[in-house]
Amino acid sequence: MFRDVTFGQYYPADSFVHKMDARIKLVLSLLFMVGIFFVVSYVGFAVITLYLLVVIALARVPLKSVLKSVKGIIFLLLLTAIINVFFTKGAGEPLLSWWKIEIYTEGLIFASKMLLRLTYLVIGSSILTLTTTPVDLTHAVESLLKPLRVIKFPVHEFALIMSLTLSFIPSLMEETDRIIRAQKARGADFDTGGLVKRAKAFVPILIPLLVGGFRRADELANAMNSRCYEGATKRTRMRKMRLGWRDAVASVIVVVLFAAIFTVYGMQSAWGGIIWLYY
Amino acid sequence: MSKSRSNKVTAPSFTVPDNCAIYCKDVNFVYNPKTPFQKQALNNVSLTVNKGEFVAVVGHTGSGKTTFVQHLNALIRLQSGRMYVLGRDLGDKKLDLKALRGEVGMVFQYPEYQLFADTVLQDVSFGLKNFGVDKDKRVQLARDAIQLVGLDFDKVKDKSPFDMSGGEKRRVALAGVLAMNPSILVMDEPTAGLDPRGKSEILSLVAQLNRERNVTVVMVSHDMNEVYENADRVIVFADGAVAYDDTPRNLFRFETQIEEMNLEVPAMAQFANVLEANGITLPDNCKTVRQMYDAVTALRGKADV
Repeated sequence: MFRDVTFGQYYPADSFVHKMDARIKLVLSLLFMVGIFFVVSYVGFAVITLYLLVVIALARVPLKSVLKSVKGIIFLLLLTAIINVFFTKGAGEPLLSWWKIEIYTEGLIFASKMLLRLTYLVIGSSILTLTTTPVDLTHAVESLLKPLRVIKFPVHEFALIMSLTLSFIPSLMEETDRIIRAQKARGADFDTGGLVKRAKAFVPILIPLLVGGFRRADELANAMNSRCYEGATKRTRMRKMRLGWRDAVASVIVVVLFAAIFTVYGMQSAWGGIIWLYY
Repeated sequence: MSKSRSNKVTAPSFTVPDNCAIYCKDVNFVYNPKTPFQKQALNNVSLTVNKGEFVAVVGHTGSGKTTFVQHLNALIRLQSGRMYVLGRDLGDKKLDLKALRGEVGMVFQYPEYQLFADTVLQDVSFGLKNFGVDKDKRVQLARDAIQLVGLDFDKVKDKSPFDMSGGEKRRVALAGVLAMNPSILVMDEPTAGLDPRGKSEILSLVAQLNRERNVTVVMVSHDMNEVYENADRVIVFADGAVAYDDTPRNLFRFETQIEEMNLEVPAMAQFANVLEANGITLPDNCKTVRQMYDAVTALRGKADV
């Protein structure tokens, strides 16, 4: 039932992107996520599409598994697009008008761009999680947040919570799967009936899952205590993260690309009307 | 998969013998096909289980035994091959899953982790409710099942299952499956994590169901002693295929092969093997220490050993 959830599932491969330093990947992904909101023209989206295709090719991840993560939130994407279509008011005559609903050309353009933006946002972040193990990702977060230690922010604990959360997702999914099977074996039916009946059918899954979650947390705390875990003090790392030539090359290319995007679109918005040339 | 479908159309209609509870022919199963996580879990598995038999399924972790038993009530659907359970064709797309699951009771590993209801009675009647049994009948069947697993119905029926001890929880979970009066009982390590007493109580309950109600039992187990004592037949899985399919006595004569598959030889079988190597043949029913003691004493009475 939950087998199809691939968002965040690491895809093992030996590629340029896989070999990059997790910290660089994280920073560049953040840059991408911010940058995508500056892009306003279809030309810009074409450039971004090309960029994503190149990255996916370099990562040697099948396009199918990248698109799978989009499939997971397609409902949300479509809902956003539809709302945008209905609620954007344009300057001229409405394209279509029925009762209180008016659809303008601007609405359609705005919605299509929002749809592209959100889709690319999901694709961008799933490339990160497909090519980076949760462990590396946590180390990257810990390493990047290090400066916050100055203001007594518990960086290590924060990273630990994050890594525990991530590492428990697969086992919780497995547990969910098992509970579903066990209740199905007792004739439980999750696929038919009205909304209320279906919602009720989830009680026999959620309660054992919660109970199991608390049990696991308890066991984990005991296991950590009995091995004298005491936080960040004097902890060393088995695998040190090192920057390599790939990181330098990727950083330069991506930074140049997005610097260009920021300048082009930033200047346009400063000059106002020029943007309209691109529509 | 499409190949087996087309086979089915052209193949002459097949009838399973009446006394056959489970029939499998060339069953294959692949997890996550066409991805890097692809794994062949079952590899041309063919076997039959007769009605009323007590069969143990053993094998190393990852040998495919759990995948196999989950096929039995169609929690995992057949990918290729043929499989019939109680005369129902598991390859049939229109298979009545509910009816099948009512007849094939499945007890998972650590079944107590699946308890969810406020009271023991509610939890035990969950399955019955799903199968549409009316309320009075439900209470009656739940009462029978709870008493069958050795709990006092009036004392426990309104208790929260979460307030009970580990062993009691397991019995409640077991009662939840037994309440449906399944004719095949499939169990995945039913005694894992129990103390010796809890273990022998669960096992003697299962043996009793097998003997008195003629319930067909398929039990996955890692404990070769309990397998030796209880099973009529042992099926050994290795790398997704059936490696051995024999009576416990015959199987555990192959001590080296058994140990190569990371399984242990039961104590009583080792003892019997040593005696046999020295030319002393025992009757086949020496499965417990008690029976072995009696057999050896009887031999001493007869001959000069």
